[in-house]
Amino acid sequence: MSLLDALPAPRLGRGSYPNVVLVSLSAVMLAAIWGLDAVSMAPNRIVQGTGAGVMEALGWPGALLASLLVLALGALAFRPNPTNYSAALGVVVLILALMPFGLMVAGHFLIDPALPQARLGIGAGYWVVLFVLLLCLIELRLRLALTRLWPMLILAGVGLLWWLCAWLWLGDLALVQEYRARDQQLIRAVGQHVVLVSVAVSISVVLGTLLALLMRRYARLQKGAFAILNFLQTIPSLALFGLLLAPLAWLSANVPVLAKLGVSGIGNTPALIALVAYSLLPMVRNTYIALEEVSADTLEAASAMGMRASQRFWQVRLPLALPVLLEGVRITTVQAIGLTAVAALIGAGGLGTFIFQGLGQAAMDMVLLGALPILILALLVDAALGALAEALRPGGVQ
Amino acid sequence: MTHSATRRSAGGVHVTQDHLWMRPLFWGVLLCICVAGIPYADALFRWLEPDARQVIYQRAPFYALLSRHLLVVGVAAVVTIAVGVAAGIAVTRKRGRDFLPLVAQLASLGQTFPPVAVLALAVPVLGFGTLPIIMALMLYGLLPIVRNTLAGLQEVDADIKMSARAMGMTPAQILYQVELPLAAPVILAGIRTSVTINIATAALGATVGASNLGDPIIAGIINGNMAYVVQGALIIALLALTLDSLFDSMQTRWRQRLSSS
Repeated sequence: MSLLDALPAPRLGRGSYPNVVLVSLSAVMLAAIWGLDAVSMAPNRIVQGTGAGVMEALGWPGALLASLLVLALGALAFRPNPTNYSAALGVVVLILALMPFGLMVAGHFLIDPALPQARLGIGAGYWVVLFVLLLCLIELRLRLALTRLWPMLILAGVGLLWWLCAWLWLGDLALVQEYRARDQQLIRAVGQHVVLVSVAVSISVVLGTLLALLMRRYARLQKGAFAILNFLQTIPSLALFGLLLAPLAWLSANVPVLAKLGVSGIGNTPALIALVAYSLLPMVRNTYIALEEVSADTLEAASAMGMRASQRFWQVRLPLALPVLLEGVRITTVQAIGLTAVAALIGAGGLGTFIFQGLGQAAMDMVLLGALPILILALLVDAALGALAEALRPGGVQ
Repeated sequence: MTHSATRRSAGGVHVTQDHLWMRPLFWGVLLCICVAGIPYADALFRWLEPDARQVIYQRAPFYALLSRHLLVVGVAAVVTIAVGVAAGIAVTRKRGRDFLPLVAQLASLGQTFPPVAVLALAVPVLGFGTLPIIMALMLYGLLPIVRNTLAGLQEVDADIKMSARAMGMTPAQILYQVELPLAAPVILAGIRTSVTINIATAALGATVGASNLGDPIIAGIINGNMAYVVQGALIIALLALTLDSLFDSMQTRWRQRLSSS
């Protein structure tokens, strides 16, 4: 988040000056509520659903409540001060908490209980409102100068509530039906995904750090290594997975020891190799830059204090480099989460299986079931590592 | 990319004008040779896949795949550049300043969304074909452009802007004649990153029915035919190298102009 350091401090407590950002976001939400389909319903999982607007889905009391809450958010933003911002945060959390109940109401109105296959889909309007609410949360966090922990706590609470609703009452929802049909499979896929990503990232952290340290010692290595790593990134991930199929298949056929170790053309081995190959560039680059950019004055001061070279490295250079280094881990991990989904094409398992099987069957709910956890995983890792880097920055959390 | 780094490399690289465009030309010619020559390189790819019935991808000619690939990346790049640079300019003006933190956060959020997931989420809304991949590329390519536009514009010396104002320039003149030209190398670097990433990422479009250079790769993975994969990957890598070196030359050229004027 080095970019944000350069930003001007957000204006807080200028009484007469409306917060244009929140006002515009509220306007977008109102437009989405009334202009886009809130939900869709389909008689079974393959047929494309038909959309329904907010009046059909929630009836007029529900539509009125939704609009009033959004209007309240916009109105609070006209008088920005800490109290109103806190109230706005409350309104955002309230809307987030009420959203699954809206789906329940819509299911009650729109889904015929006589059709057991009928299912309720989430419409474009619903997604837009959800996304804009997250933007509101970000904006309010910045204005109230809260740490990253707060939105995470709020979202964790809201997520728990949604999970509870989905578990108990949202049987009509297409996503829930799809989940119930293959919950074991999904949980296993999440597990595989997480394991693949963490193994790949751990390997590349170790290799990347070693490589960066070697580069610092042997300057000649630097140019060649960066050229190779840069070139690796121009090969599409899809192709790298494909290119590893044949050599590994040959190896496992001809070297029995490797075959016994589980090396084969399809599955985890090519996936891991490709993931590590891709992860190395951001990892090495950030580690190298992080270690290089520690100010010479600080290091000189450390020497003047009588620190030995190893002490200087462990007690000065490394701690100062850690936030940038973690930024590299964050980029690497988020990228690996996305790439692992592609690895499903070569039989590595993970959440990509759901996406590609769903695309093959034209079952969009299944695609959604695979894509949403990937997105959530990526956002979670991003937030968690971002918060960690913030906490480790010299001087700690401001 | 700090200003001092910009200046250092501008001073350090002494590329004469004649040699400046040699590298993109080299990669471009190599790309053309591959596109034209692969259909005749049967013997070469036969060595890679001795047992396959066919070793040259034939469902569509490579130049058609290449042009569709370029079209997808190009459309996504034009939209992303327009939106990204406009957003970067808007939030650094006095009126849009309130949106600065949100836009910065939003852009960094955009790259957190894995392209596969965006692609998968876009298919239900936009249908199979080219549109979902353009959408995924746009979202993925926005961050580098917005980030560099913001960085480039904020790095412009306040004194320079002040003296431009003292000379009687209007805000629009300051933007077009002072700020943007000075920020151009940094913005160009952002566009370069965005386009290079997207050339490789666009291959994913083949999984949702957008026909491009990803097609031979997918066909190769499904049929277990390495030759197809190599052909797709080779052309994509050459395309990426051509455009990357082209941007590199443009950046160098722009810096030369800045330092000579």
